[in-house]
Amino acid sequence: MAEIKVQNLVKTFGDFTAVDNVSLTIADQEFVVLLGPSGCGKTTLLRAIAGLGMPDSGVITIGGRDVTYLPPRERQISMVFQSYAIFPHMKVYDNIAFGLKMTGVDAKETDRRVREAAELLHIENLLDRFPNKMSGGQRQRVALARGIAMQAEVILMDEPLSNLDALLRLEMRAELKRLLSNIKATTIYVTHDQIEALSMGDRIAVMQSGVIQQCDVPTKVYDMPENFFVGSFIGNPPMNFFSSQIVKDNGSVAAQVGDFKFAPHPVMAKLLDKYEGDTMTMGIRAENMETLNQPADDALRVKVLVVEPLGAQNLLTIKIGDDTVKVSTHPDLAVRADDDVWLRFPSDKIRWIDRESQKVIYPS
Amino acid sequence: MTTIDPNTPQVSPEVLAVHKKAIRQQKIRRGLTYALAGVICLWIIVPIFFIFSMAFTTQETVRSYPKGFLPFIPFSTETMTFFLNSDGIVPGLINSVLVAVITLVLSTLIAAPAGYAISRYIFPGRNFFRLSILAVRAFPIVVLSIPLAVMFIQLGFFDSIYSLSLMHTALALPTTVLVIGSVFASIPYELEEAAQVFGCTPFQAFRHVVLPLVLPGIAASGLFTFVMSWNEVFAASILTIQNRTLPAQVLFALSNSSEAYQFAGGFFLLIPSLLFMFFIRNYLFNMWGQVSK
Amino acid sequence: MVQGLILAIYDDEANLALLEEADLDAPTADLIAQSASIDILGRQGNLVPEEELEEGNLLTEVWFRIEAPDVDGNQVDGWASESRIRVREEAEDGTPIMGTVRRRLGSNADPLTSVFSEPNEKSEVVGQLEARTEVQIQDLATLEVWFLVSGEHEGQAVEGWAPSRFIQIFEDEVTGRVDRGNTGEFTTEFIEKMVNDRFFWPAVRSTAILMLIIIPTQFVLAIVMALVIQAQLRFNSFILYIFAIPLGVSDLAVGILWFAIFTQNGLLNSFLQTVGAIDTPSAWLTADSRNWILVAIWLAEVWRATSIVMVIVVSGLQAISNEVLEAAEVFGANLWQRLRYVILPLLRPSLQVALILRTILAFQVFAVVIALSGGDVVTVLANESYRQYFELRNTNVAAAYAFFILILSMFTSVIYLRAVRTQEEVAA
Repeated sequence: MAEIKVQNLVKTFGDFTAVDNVSLTIADQEFVVLLGPSGCGKTTLLRAIAGLGMPDSGVITIGGRDVTYLPPRERQISMVFQSYAIFPHMKVYDNIAFGLKMTGVDAKETDRRVREAAELLHIENLLDRFPNKMSGGQRQRVALARGIAMQAEVILMDEPLSNLDALLRLEMRAELKRLLSNIKATTIYVTHDQIEALSMGDRIAVMQSGVIQQCDVPTKVYDMPENFFVGSFIGNPPMNFFSSQIVKDNGSVAAQVGDFKFAPHPVMAKLLDKYEGDTMTMGIRAENMETLNQPADDALRVKVLVVEPLGAQNLLTIKIGDDTVKVSTHPDLAVRADDDVWLRFPSDKIRWIDRESQKVIYPS
Repeated sequence: MTTIDPNTPQVSPEVLAVHKKAIRQQKIRRGLTYALAGVICLWIIVPIFFIFSMAFTTQETVRSYPKGFLPFIPFSTETMTFFLNSDGIVPGLINSVLVAVITLVLSTLIAAPAGYAISRYIFPGRNFFRLSILAVRAFPIVVLSIPLAVMFIQLGFFDSIYSLSLMHTALALPTTVLVIGSVFASIPYELEEAAQVFGCTPFQAFRHVVLPLVLPGIAASGLFTFVMSWNEVFAASILTIQNRTLPAQVLFALSNSSEAYQFAGGFFLLIPSLLFMFFIRNYLFNMWGQVSK
Repeated sequence: MVQGLILAIYDDEANLALLEEADLDAPTADLIAQSASIDILGRQGNLVPEEELEEGNLLTEVWFRIEAPDVDGNQVDGWASESRIRVREEAEDGTPIMGTVRRRLGSNADPLTSVFSEPNEKSEVVGQLEARTEVQIQDLATLEVWFLVSGEHEGQAVEGWAPSRFIQIFEDEVTGRVDRGNTGEFTTEFIEKMVNDRFFWPAVRSTAILMLIIIPTQFVLAIVMALVIQAQLRFNSFILYIFAIPLGVSDLAVGILWFAIFTQNGLLNSFLQTVGAIDTPSAWLTADSRNWILVAIWLAEVWRATSIVMVIVVSGLQAISNEVLEAAEVFGANLWQRLRYVILPLLRPSLQVALILRTILAFQVFAVVIALSGGDVVTVLANESYRQYFELRNTNVAAAYAFFILILSMFTSVIYLRAVRTQEEVAA
């Protein structure tokens, strides 16, 4: 059992608060991805869990054991580093065996585990070689083999794929997922690549400015962002945001964009009541808007600025008020720049954001 | 095992103790490092300060015994003046500076293109070239000096500051080439290419983009060469008779001179190091890191 | 380089070539070794180029071109040696213009003096002059004397002509010795001279002792200094400056620096006396305190040359990536294990370079030794090379020393490299 529990963790570097009162619980054998732009504190958080940087305050427990200020070697963890951190003076075999040797595992068991790990990563033939002439992909495999040979209950990964080229990254991503489902370890995986996060994680913790903005399963993070930041960070293209007025239309709540008015989802209508007369930010994903090439009563007329054919879809760039909005359409819908199109907003796909708190409003 | 109250998380006392101990140890270690740094600095500074105080005092003080504690020695330029007015010192000084400057100019002129080539172009025999440069570095000055002396005598080139400059250039070149090579290597070639794309000739690209960036490094290497030539005693003593450089003159006169002369001479010889090391200290690792690769 | 080797093992003055005739172009009849005893069988003058007259040890004679009436009353024009003509009148610049024929002494001597067509006794005789005949001196020529000599070479009797510059004539004018040779020969003479020199073995011994005590101390101190620099203390830049100063100090200056400390009224004695540890100044640097001189040289060299090792070690340390060290930490290595299994192995190439460099440089230490011991009480190989060249003017033996140093340097370098390679093979 290795549940990782981080409570009220704070870590500062001088005036800069890298991790700001973060609490996070990761269940045994769960795979959690820490996702965020660079400088958001995700690596600092990971290093605090690894013991490579002691926190200012807060508590970290692993499997119920308080490890907050223990040195890394007493935490029974394993780690894969961004630059692989392969020992250049050791053969692959000794690299993988290093941790086992240091922790006093006997030679026979060490050998068994090294070979097992090498087999899992298909590097049996490299065991006798020095790492200096190996490709990035091979080194990556060595680093992973070293990480899993420890058979630690916790594996920490710090952007393990970021130094690989795009094609290799794709291949390793799938392989890593397969690998991690085989070994039963609690995994924390740091990345700034949202595709990695969405495709691999059981849960994603989105971080910004040292704070976890949202921690949930990938579909939820994507579909129901907690706040403006998560919506604008996740997804390619990210969620669209534009302003709308909340008005009363024949006694019921309606949103008004320019001259166009439409009714919010009935569940939301009650919550939006109190915003009457205010401006709200509306969020909607590019693929959730319906695009018509002829006028309709319940659709907003917009002018197409740019059409980007992407194969499976066309991406239109339009302007709503001052906000730029991306709309994804079926390639069969023939539109060109400067054409007019009509957008329909399915009410259950719209996210309403409180301007003050930047939070998305959900019915409780 | 420690149970934790989820509402008010507290680090368990055992772990806190571990942490406090670690912090304490770290503080002690840091303190020890400061102390160590201080002791080593003293080990280097005290002899220099002593010879400095001997070089700037009266001859009487130099002869006196015991001298007491350092800072109370009377300051005077008497010893230094005596040294500078001794036979052959001023010509030696002029020779030394001339040799060092000629060496600096020659070795930089040769090493800059060579270093550029090593860092920019992959040519057949590049590694061999690097290795042979280092091999020259490995040949002792002693081994080079004597045959060169004989050769210079045969060529009628003996006892001249120019032949000594040639010798010093040969000694300095390996290091200079590698150092300047590493300086160039730290400037991405893309910069030059970019300049060429924006309309520079290759030479202009070098002149306007690369040169300003490498100049500090080359200057550091030049200063280092200067110091090396200024310090070199063996070849200078072997290759010159009438036109001695300062160290050769001091060495020659050493056994027949007063302590005042010796101390003032000793301090005078280490002035360039005191001055120049200040400017090149940050390039040292660059230089020798490269050499040891 | 090659020339240095040649100097050490090739004596280009080993033998003198004896020619069949007193003529530079004549074939060589025999060789005779330098400093062999010889008998002088004959002498003859030979024209030499102007510039060779400048060379030392030339025995010359001057011949005059004269015009005078001969015994038969004919006016003759020819050459006669200065030994036959007494100059009576000289021009203002000292050029002889008139003279008389000398009288031959002795009862049975030929009273007449021959005049030759060329300044050479072998040339045709153009006339005979009576003693005291007045002669007009037209011209003069300087000749080098050649000797017909005989002697012994490798058990064989040899005979032939040689120019005077290679030969030293004894006072009796009929015996002499070969002063120097003009034909080279490979020889172990200089190496033997070096090995048999009374300073050779002391120099080898001191060099070895100094290396053995200097290099380990330097490495320990250098690693400590490197770790201090790597600790990034508050005044790191200043500390680095201080640490780097000795790097730019010559061994002569360092020698003087430590001489100032160890000399009789120097810093050490002053300090000891002031704190009351001694009553009278002790003499550290005298012939009776050899070991203290070694200590002084040791300290001076450690003071001077540790910085360079430190710089190499620091750049080695800087090349070790932080993540590698963290990985070692995460995978369970404690401080000692990290040093033993990660840091030192990764530092090994740097240490190896530093070791080779330091060893090579340690063989070259010499001004420190001169400054601290005058170069006699304690001596090292480089100092002997300097002494042979500078004081004893013995270039070949100096070159032999230089080559000995080179061979030692290369030998130790190879051993270091071999030792490291073996380690790697064992690891494999």
